[in-house]
Amino acid sequence: MTDAGPLAGWSAEELMAVAISREVRDGETAAVGTLAPVPAAGVLLAHLSHAPRATVFIFNHEDYWPFRQGSKEFYDYAQRGNFDLFFLSGGQIDRHGNLNLITVGEHDHPRLRFPGGAGSAMLYYMARRVILFRMDHTPRIFVEQVDTCASPGSSPPDVVRPGGPWKAVTPLCVFRFDQTRRGLVVESIHPGVTRDELERRTGFPLELPAAPAVTPPPTREELDLLRGRVREALAKSYPRFAEAVFTSP
Amino acid sequence: MPVPGHVGSDYERLRPDFRVIADPFHPDRRVMLVPAIRPDVAVIHAHLADQAGTLLLEEREDDALLAQAARVVIASAERIAPTDEIRRAPTGVRLESLHVTAVVEVPRGAHPTAVRGAYDLDEPHLLAYMAAARDDVTFKAYLDRYVLEPRTHAEYLEAVGGR
Repeated sequence: MTDAGPLAGWSAEELMAVAISREVRDGETAAVGTLAPVPAAGVLLAHLSHAPRATVFIFNHEDYWPFRQGSKEFYDYAQRGNFDLFFLSGGQIDRHGNLNLITVGEHDHPRLRFPGGAGSAMLYYMARRVILFRMDHTPRIFVEQVDTCASPGSSPPDVVRPGGPWKAVTPLCVFRFDQTRRGLVVESIHPGVTRDELERRTGFPLELPAAPAVTPPPTREELDLLRGRVREALAKSYPRFAEAVFTSP
Repeated sequence: MPVPGHVGSDYERLRPDFRVIADPFHPDRRVMLVPAIRPDVAVIHAHLADQAGTLLLEEREDDALLAQAARVVIASAERIAPTDEIRRAPTGVRLESLHVTAVVEVPRGAHPTAVRGAYDLDEPHLLAYMAAARDDVTFKAYLDRYVLEPRTHAEYLEAVGGR
């Protein structure tokens, strides 16, 4: 985890939650799956500020998870194309937005085995906009090409795919997915992060402009909401995370 | 059965049992088919069961689906209860006994995981398991103490501290 900068006054998690929050549109349906506290915080922040009419789903949250009939009900709902926004991650994410949740190294004798692709090979296609996230940003995660592809970033025209990658949010930067180049390009670098550090910690060439945009820092209001009502709501799914990350005054 | 997405992923390469075909309804599109999973045996845990095997299961889980896919279904239950109590339960998923092969009363049978509304997960035990799983020697010690040595469920519960 990177520091957010010497004088920042916010954590990397808070900046990521705010960056995610700004991607949520009022009135849309945004869903957050398992093991995703920062996306959950971002969506809650949006819901409590600029997106009050968004429909929000947060995995197994007592107030935000209406799927009573198990994962089948959730996946059936998702594969009808009902999600405007969803969040995915990967053990490896490559420059073309391909996700690896399977193995690193030779597949039959892997150096690393991840938990498996689960719903990603469906959700990445069927959710309109998918935001990728990682809580760490290293050249071993953001690679030139994934060793094993659980879910590709783009598809040929004979594959039904209404959705796909939209942004990728990390502790160092926000990528956007460029439809023409079918790849991740840096949209903004977080305050306090140098372009040298970002290039060094990314495993593919970034082609940064001379003066890359800087991610707008969190506002006082965003931080107050995150550390107040968002933390309280988040604690129902992620008590330890909420306590550890969003408590500073 | 057809699944949306998946086409173009390495599942095509790694899973020869998955097939990609031209969609018969839209021949200009490709679609992936996967075989149905038919477990020989499913072991599931219920809040309540009656003597015939009617179950009251937790909401939000896939146990009822799993039971309908499997050839043999063994259900443990926190408590054997009168059929009427299961019929009148305000929440939970009722699974009729036609899907159930055998039922056994096992109070705290989900330990160290949780039964919603009955007991929470045993976090200290799960953390101890994670620590033990880091190497073969400590993992063997875990297996001996909690899996191999207890001869009954009561002895297991005693070994985990009566939680």
